[in-house]
Amino acid sequence: MNTKAPDYRLIGKPTRRIDGREVVTGRATYTQDIKLKDMLIGKILRSPHAAAEVVSIDLAPALALPGVFAALKLAEGKVRYAGQQVAAVAAVDERTAEKALSRIKVEYKTLPYVVDWEKARDASAPQVRDGKGNVEKFNEYSRGDVEKGFAEADVVVERTYRTAFEIHNPAETHGSVAYWEGDHLVVYDSTQNIHGVRDGLARTLKVPAANVTVIKKYMGGGFGSKLGLNEHTVAAANLARETRRPVKILLSRRDNAVCVGYRPSSLQTYKVGAKKDGSLTAFSLVNYASGGVGAGDEVSEPVVDIYKCPNCKVEEFTVFTNTGASRATRAPGHTQGALGLEGVMDELAAALEMDPLELRKKNYSTRNLGDTGLPYSTKGLDMCYELGAKAIGWERRNRKPGEGSGPVRRGIGVATSIWFGAGVPGTLADIVLYPDMSVEVVCGTQDLGTGTRTHMAVVAAETLGLEPKDITVKLGNSDYPWAPLSGGSLTTPSVAPAVRDAALKAVDRLKAVAAARLKVAADDVAMGDRKFFAKSAPEKTVVFADVYRDLRRETPFHGERTGYPGDAYAFNTFGAHFAEVDVNVETGRIRVLKHVAAHDSGQIINKLTAESQVVGAVTQGLSAGLFEERVMDDTTGNPVNPNLCDYKIATSLDIPEITPIFVDIVDTRLNNLGTKGLGEPPRIPSSAAIANAVYNAIGVHVREIPMTPQRVLAALKRKEAGS
Amino acid sequence: MREFKIAQPRTADELAALLAETKEPVAMMAGGTDLIDELKSGVATAGLVADLQAVAGLAGIVPEKEGLRIGAMTKVVDLDEDAAVARNYPSLRQAARSLATPQLRNVGTVGGNLCQRPRCWYYRDPQVVCRKKGGFNCYAFQGRNKYHAIFGGSGCFIVYPSDLAPALISLGAKATIGSVKGDKVVPLEQFYALPEIDGRRENILDKGQFLKSVWVPAPKAGQKAVYVKLKERGTWDFALVSAAVTGVVQGGVFAEISVVMGGVAPIPWRLRKAEDVLRGKPVSEALVRQAVDEALKDASPLRENGYKADLAFAALKEAVLAAAA
Repeated sequence: MNTKAPDYRLIGKPTRRIDGREVVTGRATYTQDIKLKDMLIGKILRSPHAAAEVVSIDLAPALALPGVFAALKLAEGKVRYAGQQVAAVAAVDERTAEKALSRIKVEYKTLPYVVDWEKARDASAPQVRDGKGNVEKFNEYSRGDVEKGFAEADVVVERTYRTAFEIHNPAETHGSVAYWEGDHLVVYDSTQNIHGVRDGLARTLKVPAANVTVIKKYMGGGFGSKLGLNEHTVAAANLARETRRPVKILLSRRDNAVCVGYRPSSLQTYKVGAKKDGSLTAFSLVNYASGGVGAGDEVSEPVVDIYKCPNCKVEEFTVFTNTGASRATRAPGHTQGALGLEGVMDELAAALEMDPLELRKKNYSTRNLGDTGLPYSTKGLDMCYELGAKAIGWERRNRKPGEGSGPVRRGIGVATSIWFGAGVPGTLADIVLYPDMSVEVVCGTQDLGTGTRTHMAVVAAETLGLEPKDITVKLGNSDYPWAPLSGGSLTTPSVAPAVRDAALKAVDRLKAVAAARLKVAADDVAMGDRKFFAKSAPEKTVVFADVYRDLRRETPFHGERTGYPGDAYAFNTFGAHFAEVDVNVETGRIRVLKHVAAHDSGQIINKLTAESQVVGAVTQGLSAGLFEERVMDDTTGNPVNPNLCDYKIATSLDIPEITPIFVDIVDTRLNNLGTKGLGEPPRIPSSAAIANAVYNAIGVHVREIPMTPQRVLAALKRKEAGS
Repeated sequence: MREFKIAQPRTADELAALLAETKEPVAMMAGGTDLIDELKSGVATAGLVADLQAVAGLAGIVPEKEGLRIGAMTKVVDLDEDAAVARNYPSLRQAARSLATPQLRNVGTVGGNLCQRPRCWYYRDPQVVCRKKGGFNCYAFQGRNKYHAIFGGSGCFIVYPSDLAPALISLGAKATIGSVKGDKVVPLEQFYALPEIDGRRENILDKGQFLKSVWVPAPKAGQKAVYVKLKERGTWDFALVSAAVTGVVQGGVFAEISVVMGGVAPIPWRLRKAEDVLRGKPVSEALVRQAVDEALKDASPLRENGYKADLAFAALKEAVLAAAA
């Protein structure tokens, strides 16, 4: 297979966002901006208690308030976390709605609860679910014989790593505006999944899916927290049905911390065995994860897949607490797993007195499941290592972790990622050509802010011999051709090939029409410089405008993303991050000085937005690595930092020079563009590379993120104590 | 947000009269960067908000013969950009510049900063009625307390969040308090009050009183002043621990020294025991260690904030060595 990137005119080059001007001038319409005639404001009353029996809900005092149009009971029986919805109102404005909420009388009988997930593991802790324990095994895996593997090892290292609860905190909080036109429901929703929300609403409200339209034009971020149908969207639709008016419900920043998910915590214990030369003999992982009333994340995929190792055993347990359910958070599981796996690889490298990068190369796999499964169709991780190491100046690292001196220590670290990103076969996109030479590309996908609009224009323009500005892009409406949810790094590898397919069909038709004009055979027609010409007689040309006019009416072309040989090959994305930090060993403060992110995500469609994606993900990983943590309090049953002041996110002063590198390997087995996903991969090894750089700087692995001054100082004390 | 009335007095006398007369609970609004948030979340309620924006004569930095007067309504950005401040009180400038973000400094005021309410996350939770809000318990005492006090907590373990206060106190500033009874001047150090005096407020302002200005004495010959702020992230962060040091150095020895820390106690915390150790001896890292150890004898860390003892040393070391350099 030829994996060299073709020499495209636009694809793979930087293209400015076609909607950039609209966004930065504030003219782009987000769900929060939607204002409809006679629109009411909905608000939701939430339980302040982490566990309670709802004895009664009296809506009458709220309904008696002038300006209140409807109120709903949303809870029955038990509430199991603080922030769970109890009732909702719709009123003429926000203040009236708030006042109405304060008048709803709810009688609670409070029940024992546990929100501290480590305490929840005690047998004596209150049960989160009726009649079931709080700890449940939810994943196990085994290959080979780990005991034999450890017996064969020259060195065995066992370490435990922890990751915190990380809240998505998109700039735009969740929100929905719902209205009914007869029996047809229209919902503007801040969602990563317009078709999924449509189907969910249809099921929940018992209306035909054909009678539901979900619209999302612009979005201020989701990161996984907006992947499914939300309770507040159902409430908005029900309130709209009852009041016969549009109803808008926006969630608050506090709501973002209590009821729309977060990345689950993890407590990962790895044991790894290796020969003196670094070859791995066995890996075991025991993980505890907590997702509140929902499930934790499986963090084991990196350890199962990435390094050549014949023996591997995994057990994962989820720990239930009286906290809102977790949700997928940018590369769920892998991000936590990378911190642990890549941490223990570095600690193993130190025990072997080996270069951490050499240890990784020594155990390089070309098949999945640790070199025991399917061959990777393409794997550019070796190039990521090579280019990334060169860009960071890997040779400048401390040969022995912590060998520097003085109060400020420097260090360099590496971490690896594997992720999916093959895209979804069956994704549809239409190209419509108009006789006036306008071109429309239509797909029921959504642009999360990643630049989907622009990449659709780039692919269509590349194929049709036009410029991105010539293309009218339509997306974000569930009435448009089907595309998958925007999660799992699916969007580009699903949508771009479908657009390409439709555009190639359009070009075929245009060539046939041109051939009639040129009076040559269709296969003799070529395209260039906004003209068609006969290859046999290049002086015979016809300009685009004439050919489009000859179409006589608007003409749609249906494109589809086709299948790939997933039973013969493994299709994955890869990446390697290199971070340089300095650490003040007196204040415990870490500064990231430089971050290099090298990625194999196949053919890059738009280099500019791809680089933005990497910069954003590295920033998010830095933020989670150093600052972000939802802190729960067992006394109140609530988070103590449900805001953007105490839940700390990296500021511009914390963000270093970030260098994205793409290795440009085109996997033509996968789809017609050889493109793979990029949304999540750069998030995966970013915190881990920084953690390993800190280890290289101070000679002790902090083993827990966020690496706050408190934890860095504690790690240094652990080092002094020699443990 | 509950409804409230708003008053916009034009003069300090009008303000004093308003505060004296009104029977409703009053909240004074300077820049409003924090008060608005408190009112919206319901943490603070007020029958009347007295907007100080239009009160004549409360803003401005005025050189006086014996020092510098800084009006309560002076914007933090103006303090940061003032030439006399930069020349004579470098620690005050460092404190102003380390505070919040440019946007907040453009709106926030000196008086607002000196009178701000605590950042304790229990206090800030509208669902929690803690000791500071008239309840019985300090939730931080046995709860989540990594940001809380290691000194001076008693029934309430907030830390005082101001950056300006430690710098000003170490510089020997005095506060002028206005009321219908006329002006009263107190050392800024005595402007703050521990929770054991009144758990519901952080300063000595009684009903009817307001902070009018602060006055900083002219620097002594050879005076050095440094402010060091340790925080978790690069900007927009309150101090984990901060240290303000003002001293007169003669031949590598502090002839006079004043040390005030932020982020460690419910009020800006004067470390007199540390001053006693540091005064009159050749400055060294070991001396700072000894000074901090002496001061830490008064500390009682909670479950999650013991690391602040390490940060106290790091902050004081940096400040003392910089001042002595």
